[in-house]
Amino acid sequence: MNEELIIGIDLGTTNSLVGVVDSGFPLILADRDGDRLTPSCVSWPEEGPPLVGKEAFRSRMVAPERTVSSIKRFIGRPFSDLSPEERNDSAFPLVVGARDEILVEIDPDTLVTPVEISALLLARLKSVAEEALETPLARAVVTVPAYFNNSQREATKQAAVLAGFTVERILNEPTAAALAYGLDKLDESATVAVYDLGGGTFDLSVLQMRDGFFEVISTAGDTRLGGDDFDRAIAGHFATALALGTLGPGEEATLLARAREVKEALSTEEKVTARFPFLRGNESFELEVTRADLERWLAPVIERTRPIARRAFAEAARKGVGEVERLILVGGSTRIPFLREKLREWFGLDPDLSQHPDESIALGAAIQAGMLCGRVREIILVDVTPLSLGIETFGGLMNVILPRNSTIPVKAGELFTNAVDRQQSMAIRVLQGERELAKDNWLLGEVTVPFSPGPKGSARVGVQFAIDRDGILEVLARDTATGEDHVLEIRNAAVDVDDETVERMIGESIDHAFEDMNERIWTEAKLKSEELLPAVDEALAQAGHLVPTEDRAGIDEAVAGVRSALASESHDAAALKAANAALDEATQTLAALLVEIAFSGEGS
Amino acid sequence: MTNFFALLELPESLSLDPETVETSWREKSRTPAPGGDDRAAALHEARATLVDPVRRLAHWLALRAPDAPPECGIDPALMDLFGAISPVLETTDHVLARLRRASTALAKAVLTREAVAAQLQIQELLQRIRPLQAALLDRFDAIEEDGRAGDHQPAARALGQLKFLQRWEAQCHERLLALIAT
Repeated sequence: MNEELIIGIDLGTTNSLVGVVDSGFPLILADRDGDRLTPSCVSWPEEGPPLVGKEAFRSRMVAPERTVSSIKRFIGRPFSDLSPEERNDSAFPLVVGARDEILVEIDPDTLVTPVEISALLLARLKSVAEEALETPLARAVVTVPAYFNNSQREATKQAAVLAGFTVERILNEPTAAALAYGLDKLDESATVAVYDLGGGTFDLSVLQMRDGFFEVISTAGDTRLGGDDFDRAIAGHFATALALGTLGPGEEATLLARAREVKEALSTEEKVTARFPFLRGNESFELEVTRADLERWLAPVIERTRPIARRAFAEAARKGVGEVERLILVGGSTRIPFLREKLREWFGLDPDLSQHPDESIALGAAIQAGMLCGRVREIILVDVTPLSLGIETFGGLMNVILPRNSTIPVKAGELFTNAVDRQQSMAIRVLQGERELAKDNWLLGEVTVPFSPGPKGSARVGVQFAIDRDGILEVLARDTATGEDHVLEIRNAAVDVDDETVERMIGESIDHAFEDMNERIWTEAKLKSEELLPAVDEALAQAGHLVPTEDRAGIDEAVAGVRSALASESHDAAALKAANAALDEATQTLAALLVEIAFSGEGS
Repeated sequence: MTNFFALLELPESLSLDPETVETSWREKSRTPAPGGDDRAAALHEARATLVDPVRRLAHWLALRAPDAPPECGIDPALMDLFGAISPVLETTDHVLARLRRASTALAKAVLTREAVAAQLQIQELLQRIRPLQAALLDRFDAIEEDGRAGDHQPAARALGQLKFLQRWEAQCHERLLALIAT
């Protein structure tokens, strides 16, 4: 066993990597076939132990329902947090556990948690590193999206422990990329932004580099936005273009796989033909896709990164940091040429492409590991907590105790006192998020503050909220009388969800009956139609006079399509969804026009 | 209470230059010392306190006159501004709530006109807040002198007003960010 050595792991949504620092330089370790990327995929064959990595990736077409990918999207989240799309669109069945946790149902006898699946991936990376370095290893730095909340970080750490690691640090992915970028520029001073768009998550961090000091100033992100969403958008357009109606799981997996290939091919080519041999029974399909098609399909997803980036920039500016000079791109999804163009247009910066999109984060993790085991010196790293931390007040509001973008480690204390005579304890709900109302934020859990018995107002307990260098929260209580500190357990508060809700969620999650599925999708689609139709009227009132006649005809036609689908007595969910999608597309230019005139002050 | 000026080895003055604070914080953070996370957290808090003029004033006052609470009444000079703020915040929250409910690009786009109008109103408010803050910060030298002569009344009064302005500024800033990000 090598007691000193620490490895760095990038546990990605789509692919994972492991690296180490050797003679001062970070490098990625390859498996015995020479592959550096391990697909973040786990599959359960009918017989035998689970397959991990490429073996599992290969089986995703044959056994899509027994193959788990993109599990990072689900780690550390309660089941009740999932959107209807997330529940319905998952290729593998998700069910709710007794404590509102997410379980993947491979078959009725095999229920696995996202933590267990991640642990299998981490264990594979551990053996890749051990074989490459020819020594048993036990210590690791593991990266997470900067915007991961406390529960997601804790779950990731737990997975690493389950895989046999001592976790030396949970490191933010964009911060890791900045380390990889800055390692050979230690004598430079610069304000840089890292735009990290991976398979399933997006982060933007602004950092200041100066004299070997790497300081994160602000960070913003979306942990449910990435290349997967590109694939889904493309696959959705395939389904519409090929008029496929409702898809079976095998068909969906094929469309998604083809979507990914088309996306990747169009990064270098102008036009490709997507082929779908024997997609439905004996029927084969073909579709020509140009780069312009792809750009139109991806634009709405790429657009979602813009306000997030602006938010991080605005926060950095407010903290008095100078203009961002460099925009460093990392993550596989930044290979898309259209995305790079958009960034240039939005931020007036030429994207810096010096970093390997897939490897930079793992290299950064290796550098941080090297710093912790003394193999890299002269670098000091200071990071922030991405989300405000607070507690719920009596009125259901969130009272912020540690604001977002505070430099970590950070601590803050609050004094609590008994409100009535002989009160024994008080329950505090701990939240993370930026919204005013407690219910709009993530509930991390509940802590119970104990009081020593006495008249109202006599008990005084100081509660300290501390976020460590991993971005993980610890709550301590100090009895002012005895001066004793003890750690308060942050209990999962999901038990507060009333029984009926849990029953309903359980019912929903195991109910795969087609009728219900159709009805549920119908209801969702109907809500969308009911939002779109009045929005079209309002939009035409605001800017109708600026819409070219042929566009107008297209919009009218799409509106008529939605109306007739809504009127159908058979509640054809697929038809309504398609009609909505057509209206969405027909009004895309109109929507852009509205935004444009709103900002230029015309038309008012 | 930890004296943050002492922790960063800086003079106990209201007119500290943020760059001086940064430099000292960086030096101290670079040298590993016993205390680990506790020391690091204290250094970060000291820096965050001393670079922000309002928190710096609060800390300075707390060290010299721990029993003097900031004066909490709103100065007549701020009354007009106070009256102008809540209606703007309310309108903005209304727009934001509708934006958050909108699930389609078109439904959001329809609201852009109102969102832009709200943004402009907030920016106007910020432009009224900033000179008032600046005027109070300009008095720091005089306040420090009064304090050294034993009169902490001016410091307490300035702190009270600055806290109002800071809260309003933060409320405006939050709405701006929400408008950008929704």
